[in-house]
Amino acid sequence: MSQRSVAITITSGKGGVGKSTTVASVGLGLAQLGHRVCLVDTDIGLRKLDLMLGLENRIVYDIVDVIEGVSKLRQSLVRHKEFPDLALLPAAQTRYKEEVSPSQIKQVVNELRKEFDFILIDSPAGIEGGFRNAIAAADRAILVVNPEIPSVRDSDRVIGLLESANLDQIDLVVNRVQPDMVKDGDMLSVDRVKNHLAINLLGVVPEDRRIIRSSNTGEPVILDGKSYAGKAFSNIARRLSGEDVPFLELEEGTLISRIKRLFHIA
Amino acid sequence: MKRNRGETELTLFNMFNKEREEPTAVTADDRLSLVLSYQRSDIDEKKLKLFQTKLIELCDDFGYDVVGQVTIVPQSKERTTIINASIPVRPKSMSKD
Repeated sequence: MSQRSVAITITSGKGGVGKSTTVASVGLGLAQLGHRVCLVDTDIGLRKLDLMLGLENRIVYDIVDVIEGVSKLRQSLVRHKEFPDLALLPAAQTRYKEEVSPSQIKQVVNELRKEFDFILIDSPAGIEGGFRNAIAAADRAILVVNPEIPSVRDSDRVIGLLESANLDQIDLVVNRVQPDMVKDGDMLSVDRVKNHLAINLLGVVPEDRRIIRSSNTGEPVILDGKSYAGKAFSNIARRLSGEDVPFLELEEGTLISRIKRLFHIA
Repeated sequence: MKRNRGETELTLFNMFNKEREEPTAVTADDRLSLVLSYQRSDIDEKKLKLFQTKLIELCDDFGYDVVGQVTIVPQSKERTTIINASIPVRPKSMSKD
């Protein structure tokens, strides 16, 4: 088993907050840093990661096939052509979450630990069976939250569930932050969200129209050199990798800070 | 259906005088604090009402009369719920005077 192997579940409670976007970009970021990374899609019946990575045409087998013994684990992994250290274990699109159990997912993830440094598990929305499958094998969790009350409330509930499952290392990613709305008092600030949830802040990702384009083209936004969100995801990957990276300056601010942002040095 | 002028005026009048639900808090931050404290401590309006009744009884046992509106507001701070109770009281001996 790899000494450094770590399994991280990316979860949220509420749907549509950017879990799969985060998994795709952070996974790619870790692979760019030289880590061996496997992304596991546990959203059985509603898979997305294949689309986010542009790998949808290359899927032959999926995680349910592995569990049922139809295929071997190695056969089911889809390697990224440009980043061969990045692999995807896709979810089945025509099956149901109830068809797999937490112990089966745990078995698959433990097998993946032998080959990969990071295993990022994309959790489905909700707190039912699919969520329980996604957290069964995790060493730690990343909670993706939008700065709005419904998302924070759901996340707070998820923190309680993670803690009762003895998953104590939980990091926070605040996604889709709009600094102008925060400034006007129309959006919760990152500090307020962090204080209410009382967990470690791992990343702050600004709202970025380029994300929509990236999910449509199948090129994770981290590859888009002009995207602030891409830069934020890259920073998250570096922090997971152990680097001490300052948070992006999201306020409009001074001319100097704008120039720094332009050259991605902030 | 044809409406006469009186009906139209009444509809408009009702539209602007429609009873609106009072917001639970003024700022998003206060609302989030309230929402989280309700969720974390499994509090609902019924439980708060019961709590209020018990507090009034407790004041009575300790020799106080409640002389105004009792308010109980749960607040959330770093995963801990704080229940703030405001109970305007006066000692019974003073009330008798």
